[in-house]
Amino acid sequence: MRDVFPNALHVARREYLFRVRGRAFKVTTALLAIAIVAITLVPTILGALGVADPPHIAVANEAGDIQPDPILTLQAALIAGADPGAAIDGETPDELPADERPRVTPTDDPDAAADAVRAGDLDGVLVISRDAEGELGFEYITSAGPTSQTRALVQAAASSIAIADRLEREGVTPAQQQAVFATIPFEVTAADPSDARDPEDFAGGFILAYAVVILTFMAILTYGNWVAQSVAEEKSGRVMELLITAATPRQLLTGKVLGAGAAGLTQYVVIIAALVIGLVASGPAADALGASGDLPFSLPTIGPVTIVTFAAFFLLGFLLYATLYAAAGSMVSRIEDVQQAVGPLIFLAMGGYFAAFTGLNDPDAGWVQALSVVPFFSPYLMPARMLLTSPSAAEIGLAIALLVAAVVGAIWLASRIYSAGVLMYGQRVGLRTILRAARVAR
Amino acid sequence: MSLIVDSITKRFGDVVALDDASFSVEPGRIFGLLGANGAGKTTSMRIVLDILRPDAGTVTWQGTPNTDLPRRTWGYLPEERGLYPRMEVGEQLRFFASLYGVSDADARREIGEWLDRFRIPDYLGRRVEELSKGNQQKIQFLAAILHDPDVLIMDEPFTGLDPVNVRLLKEAFLEMKARGKTLIFSTHQMETVEELCETIAIVDQGRVVVSGTVRDVKRAMNRQVVRLATDGDDNGAAWLAELPGVEVTADRQDFLELRVPADQDPELILRRALERGDRVTRFEISDPSLEEVFVEHVGRRAVSEDEEHLAATSAGAGR
Repeated sequence: MRDVFPNALHVARREYLFRVRGRAFKVTTALLAIAIVAITLVPTILGALGVADPPHIAVANEAGDIQPDPILTLQAALIAGADPGAAIDGETPDELPADERPRVTPTDDPDAAADAVRAGDLDGVLVISRDAEGELGFEYITSAGPTSQTRALVQAAASSIAIADRLEREGVTPAQQQAVFATIPFEVTAADPSDARDPEDFAGGFILAYAVVILTFMAILTYGNWVAQSVAEEKSGRVMELLITAATPRQLLTGKVLGAGAAGLTQYVVIIAALVIGLVASGPAADALGASGDLPFSLPTIGPVTIVTFAAFFLLGFLLYATLYAAAGSMVSRIEDVQQAVGPLIFLAMGGYFAAFTGLNDPDAGWVQALSVVPFFSPYLMPARMLLTSPSAAEIGLAIALLVAAVVGAIWLASRIYSAGVLMYGQRVGLRTILRAARVAR
Repeated sequence: MSLIVDSITKRFGDVVALDDASFSVEPGRIFGLLGANGAGKTTSMRIVLDILRPDAGTVTWQGTPNTDLPRRTWGYLPEERGLYPRMEVGEQLRFFASLYGVSDADARREIGEWLDRFRIPDYLGRRVEELSKGNQQKIQFLAAILHDPDVLIMDEPFTGLDPVNVRLLKEAFLEMKARGKTLIFSTHQMETVEELCETIAIVDQGRVVVSGTVRDVKRAMNRQVVRLATDGDDNGAAWLAELPGVEVTADRQDFLELRVPADQDPELILRRALERGDRVTRFEISDPSLEEVFVEHVGRRAVSEDEEHLAATSAGAGR
């Protein structure tokens, strides 16, 4: 067998340039980048819109004396709802700037207040009454829909006002109530100190694991399909006979996978750059809009070794699938038949994808551990496990080694199928015919 | 040392594409591979190029097996033309040249020279899909020769070309021959073979039925062709039929074509005509035409082309 390079690089270069110069590539990449920037900025913009207009609610107390003051209870609930972090951190409501603070004001005239709600000057009116048995009743007049967050907060506040009132009537003093509802100390200690993760960190890891699985899956499906499509195009356009005379199947196959892969990677780099721009811009954008630019979760800190490992899984996984996609593309005579030929590969890729999604919920399960070293699944499962639990270095090394072996085997098999397939033109070329021809192929 | 194809056999499933086929080509010659559709011409070429491996037999060029030869030994013009339709001519040709290890500078210079020769110098930046069929074919030819191969193998190179382009391509052939290259091509056009080829092989159903120099192949027919025209009042067929072995093969408007066995002196016909007192306006002795030779070896077999095509495609062999 002749050397793979430099011809594979010539093929890769042609493939890459042809891809990235194409209008479809430019349009798709630009649209994806715009969409990503928009998606990262939307929460900030929405947050800014929400905070710019804090809720203002009027309370009409027709029930006489209620302890503690329902206005204070409601205000505390609304503040806690507007900034969940404040309640956890034990911040007092006074720390919110005045123009962001929800307002709760007393009123004696619920009808006038209801008119103000209809006019849009108030978010709602809470009318508190007391029936013959002394039980509190609440009526909330608002224009907001059932999904309104303020409405839910008001209902929760009403509930605690009523409970406090019942206890009060039963003779439980406010001091006793405070003692009953005092926060319970609850501490979680990780069995293995290295597993100790901040809950926000864990949420971030989870989101990142999803992202890695989805990105890997998309790369295999989209860019793998490019490879198959491109091989089938060369075959149906009959350039293949010229190519196969000038270069060996292995050179062509390797070049094709590298070229299409590099084009795909270019698209990914643009997307990730857009993501970074979006995230970086959301800070200043939030400042400009007067909102808090903090993400609702924090991304786990990832070391350079982990990033290199992720990249290795991603690239090797892509190589494995893309090589087989090239073989599949070489088996068909018409471009329309490509989808049918790559069917089994899509099935395999989806198997890994769904296994990873199921496995994310229980990353330490035995089957997840086992599958995470199996070549066709490891590109999804091992990075996900690395984000969620702590697989051993030996496991990661084994997964990489098996993946490399699978790539080498796939290149060998695919180049034989390729050299037999590219000269076969017919209605349908079965795998058996191909394999028989592949045995004598060069 | 020549190109030697030795006892090649190739099967596709149940179809025998080549059956113990042998022929040889002297370096620096133009060689014609003749045969009906499905005879095994393309398969032979692919095997010589080592893009297809035979079930049995060997191919050697100057003593080296083709499996050990560098790819740039060969230039190939496939029967099914194929280029990247959306790539520019110059970029495309440089790409193919690069696969054969030609430096970019050399490729640019060669491409410029050849486009001038083909009188299409301003096509360098055009996409291939914008070119006419004939011009695409010229680009295809350049893709086959830019790396300066020793042996140029062309499958039906003249198909689909207008007479002007056929002339240009023939000139290019002779130019390559003048540079000492060996040329092998297949065709159906017998006049082209008579004009260009020094040696030929006729392939039929995977077998080489005859091969050698054009003159030897014709002589092997063991007969001569005589064209005769006289001013006699009758059509002459009657007295000619009395001559032993002589057969009238064609009765044209202004002459008769006769077949004469090799062991008979054709001048007997002339003498007999003169004895009859006819005035002989034409008398010509020649070897049988290549077309006759071809039809004699191949054409009698009544095989439907569709049937052959079906067999070839289902075997996945192309033609």
